[in-house]
Amino acid sequence: MLLKVEDVTKRFGGLVAVDSVSFEIKEGEAFGIVGPNGSGKTTLYNMISGVYQPDSGRIIFDGRDITDLPAHARAPLGIGRTFQIPRPFPSATVRENVAVGAMFGRAQADVKEAMEISDYYIELVGLSEQANKAAGTLTPLEKRLMELARALAMKPRLLLLDEVMAGMNPKDIGNIIELLQKVRQEEKIAVVAMVEHLMHAITKFAERVMVMHQGRKLLEGPTMEVLNDERVIEVYLGKKIREGAEGAEGHRT
Amino acid sequence: MGFWEQLASNLVFGILLGSVYGLATMGLSLIFGVLRIVNVGHGAFLMIGAYAAFWLFTLFGLSPIASIFMALAVGLALGFITFYSVIKRLIGAPELSTLLATFGIGLFIEELAKLVWGPDYRGYSWDTPYISLGISAISFSKIYALLASIVIAFLLFMWFKKTKLGMAVRAVVEDKEGAMVCGIDVTRIYALSFALGIALTVASGVLITLFVPVGINPYMGGEYTLKAFVIAVLGGLTSPWGAFYAGFIFGLLENGSYTLLGLIPDVEPFSLTRFIAFTTLLIILLIKPTGLLGGEEM
Amino acid sequence: MRGVHTLLIIYAILLIVGLTVPGMWQPVAFLMFYVALGQAFNIFLGLTGYVDFGYVAFLALGSYGMAIAMDSLYQTGLGAAILPIGLLLAALMSIMLSLAVGAVALRLRGAYFAIATIGVNEGFRYLIEGARLWGGSEGIIITGAMRKIFGREMANFISTMVADVLVFGIGLLAALTTYVIIHKRMGYALMAIREDEDAARVMGINVTKYKIMAFITSAFFAGLIGASAWTLKMTYVFPSDVFLITYTVEAIVIVMLGGAGTLLGPVVGGITYGLLKYYLSVILPGFQLLILAPLLVAIVVAFPEGIVGYLKERVRGTRFEGYIL
Ligand SMILES: Nc1ncnc2c1ncn2[C@@H]1O[C@H](COP(=O)(O)OP(=O)(O)O)[C@@H](O)[C@H]1O
Ligand SMILES: [Mg+2]
Repeated sequence: MLLKVEDVTKRFGGLVAVDSVSFEIKEGEAFGIVGPNGSGKTTLYNMISGVYQPDSGRIIFDGRDITDLPAHARAPLGIGRTFQIPRPFPSATVRENVAVGAMFGRAQADVKEAMEISDYYIELVGLSEQANKAAGTLTPLEKRLMELARALAMKPRLLLLDEVMAGMNPKDIGNIIELLQKVRQEEKIAVVAMVEHLMHAITKFAERVMVMHQGRKLLEGPTMEVLNDERVIEVYLGKKIREGAEGAEGHRT
Repeated sequence: MGFWEQLASNLVFGILLGSVYGLATMGLSLIFGVLRIVNVGHGAFLMIGAYAAFWLFTLFGLSPIASIFMALAVGLALGFITFYSVIKRLIGAPELSTLLATFGIGLFIEELAKLVWGPDYRGYSWDTPYISLGISAISFSKIYALLASIVIAFLLFMWFKKTKLGMAVRAVVEDKEGAMVCGIDVTRIYALSFALGIALTVASGVLITLFVPVGINPYMGGEYTLKAFVIAVLGGLTSPWGAFYAGFIFGLLENGSYTLLGLIPDVEPFSLTRFIAFTTLLIILLIKPTGLLGGEEM
Repeated sequence: MRGVHTLLIIYAILLIVGLTVPGMWQPVAFLMFYVALGQAFNIFLGLTGYVDFGYVAFLALGSYGMAIAMDSLYQTGLGAAILPIGLLLAALMSIMLSLAVGAVALRLRGAYFAIATIGVNEGFRYLIEGARLWGGSEGIIITGAMRKIFGREMANFISTMVADVLVFGIGLLAALTTYVIIHKRMGYALMAIREDEDAARVMGINVTKYKIMAFITSAFFAGLIGASAWTLKMTYVFPSDVFLITYTVEAIVIVMLGGAGTLLGPVVGGITYGLLKYYLSVILPGFQLLILAPLLVAIVVAFPEGIVGYLKERVRGTRFEGYIL
């Protein structure tokens, strides 16, 4: 097991954002987390990547208890992530942004290597033309791609993507999924993608999914089985989700 | 006077002065709580209040208690001017910008005061009867200061609880986007909160003069900036009420330690209490950066 | 490397003007103090985006370090070796203070850090005066000690010439250090911290470590400047002089005016500020802060990128890119 999340709980004041959630992720797995807005997905990521400490429960990465480890000590172990609202280093160039990932993530590259790694992943996500632009000037979509490249440059073993496909058209989504499958196979990265509404994207990408609802884990299992479960459909607009169906995602905001 | 009498009378003094410290810090906490701006120029506004009390008393014979109202008005005006000329342009700017800007504003006010009023130490004495507490005699003026601080703090509390505008401020603190959606003009709330914070600070400057009879000078504020930060951090930085309580605690700590330091031969206790203020700050930040009396994370 | 060339050319011009044009050494030394002060402070404020309102305490402790070394060692017969010992002690004392303050406050966010630093200079001054440390409010006078160590002639030469050359060298060293830092992993880490501290953490950057490293480096140079520009030059240290907040303000203005985090910023800012101050002290003696304070506010509001930051943007993509760093 690459990641074991055991019974983690996180409260904000009176609100229980994540309520004793447990799940496991295998090495190189494609895992999906779905759940409506406010169901605790981002908070879960924040606890895995070390932004927040859970109030209770344990997080075990590669056999090691990392619950009390600060965020900066987790990245070198191989945990990379993107942010729901992209957080580039705005006045640095895209190339420098991605290079930072290579320098301080699991890659621990020196400056020269980091630039090479950076160029590789910038090319991979298709941002070569923007490489020398200040990251703050990118479009929201480009920022997402830049964050993906930056996370990949860390050479993670676990990649946590927070709504990375939101706002993309079906063609872009197709490309991203293809890219993710490629890095997953070539670099043995376990990829966790979390989405609010892009169900058909998840059906194409994930082998297993977990459904979150109001801070709790509602269900977990093989993607199609879970997404067609009565309880899940109830949570999501009452719509039945067909494999690969375009436009099956709800457009609530 | 024996040591215990000395200590007791200093502690009483500490409570009285602490109420003014509390009031002086409420403005700082209010501004930080609403705008997330640390007013590094805090003490300069307090100094303006001290001068207001001095001039109103020496020129017109106005009692400091009456001067509070003038000080509040001056403070509101100063606050609005500062907000609309500088602070408004820095909303959303990096934290460094607001730190440097408020620092510059504070310095500017001090230098202006020096230019206009000169660098001398000034003071006035408001003759009020003394009340004997058995151990020592306390001037009524200091008791008025305590009462005035409590009344102002209470009025502010009621204003937040009961008025529409006060509730709007609280709404902005809790959820800025939500407040905007509800039709609250966030910039105006910012302006009002900033001005109110400055007004409280200027008013506390009036009351401070009842404790430092000859200490009014353009640079007197620096000391209170430091103390206000200690108190604000003690009280949780974002909460005006936390700040008010913490003011009493700090007043007691300061005057208690002054008495104790007096026991050590060959030191100047007065200078050392200021060193203690700064080390207390570091220690509190070390133990619990978000404030000892609760308060939220930044 | 071209950015360093520009830097070295400016330094060379200053040095040549100072040494060859009669009567220009003192004015150049006057400017060099501000350039060095800016260079030292830039390593912290410019590279981390954090502000230390008590920065002058590092210069002050440095100047005490030198004075203590002179005052307590002049009878030992160590002779001229006392000078480097003094510099060492100066650096050591500033570094100790930066460790004490940094270890507590740099674990915290920007505003809390700034709050924690606001009383450092005053607090220290009151400790020295209150506990009668190091001569208390009377300070330390080393005019006699210096004469005994170096002889009258040499002591004179040290205050009028060597002290300035030292400041010049320290400023240059600080600039070169900045250059090296910017191009190493540390520079990228500090950039990330400055831009988004949370994101930097998640990228694996130990933000506290890098902030403290920048803080210590900056304090180290500040201590050396205090030891040379104040103690060696004036031959005395008074607490009421060396803890003056004015120097912190000057350091901030120089860095912001020139362009925070740029290599050339402190040079441009220091020279501009020095000239401005010189003329202001002629026109409005005693009221420099009256001009300086609104200037700082104006820069922050209207021109936050500073002169070099502005030029850097303008030359991006032209053949001058790289000369302005
Ligand atoms: N820093 C925080 N402070 C207070 N409440 C928070 C914070 N972060 C998240 N929450 C709350 O926790 C709940 C879960 O949020 P989140 O994890 O962002 O959900 P999701 O990513 O599934 O939309 C929400 O109700 C949100 O408002
Ligand atoms: Mg989310």
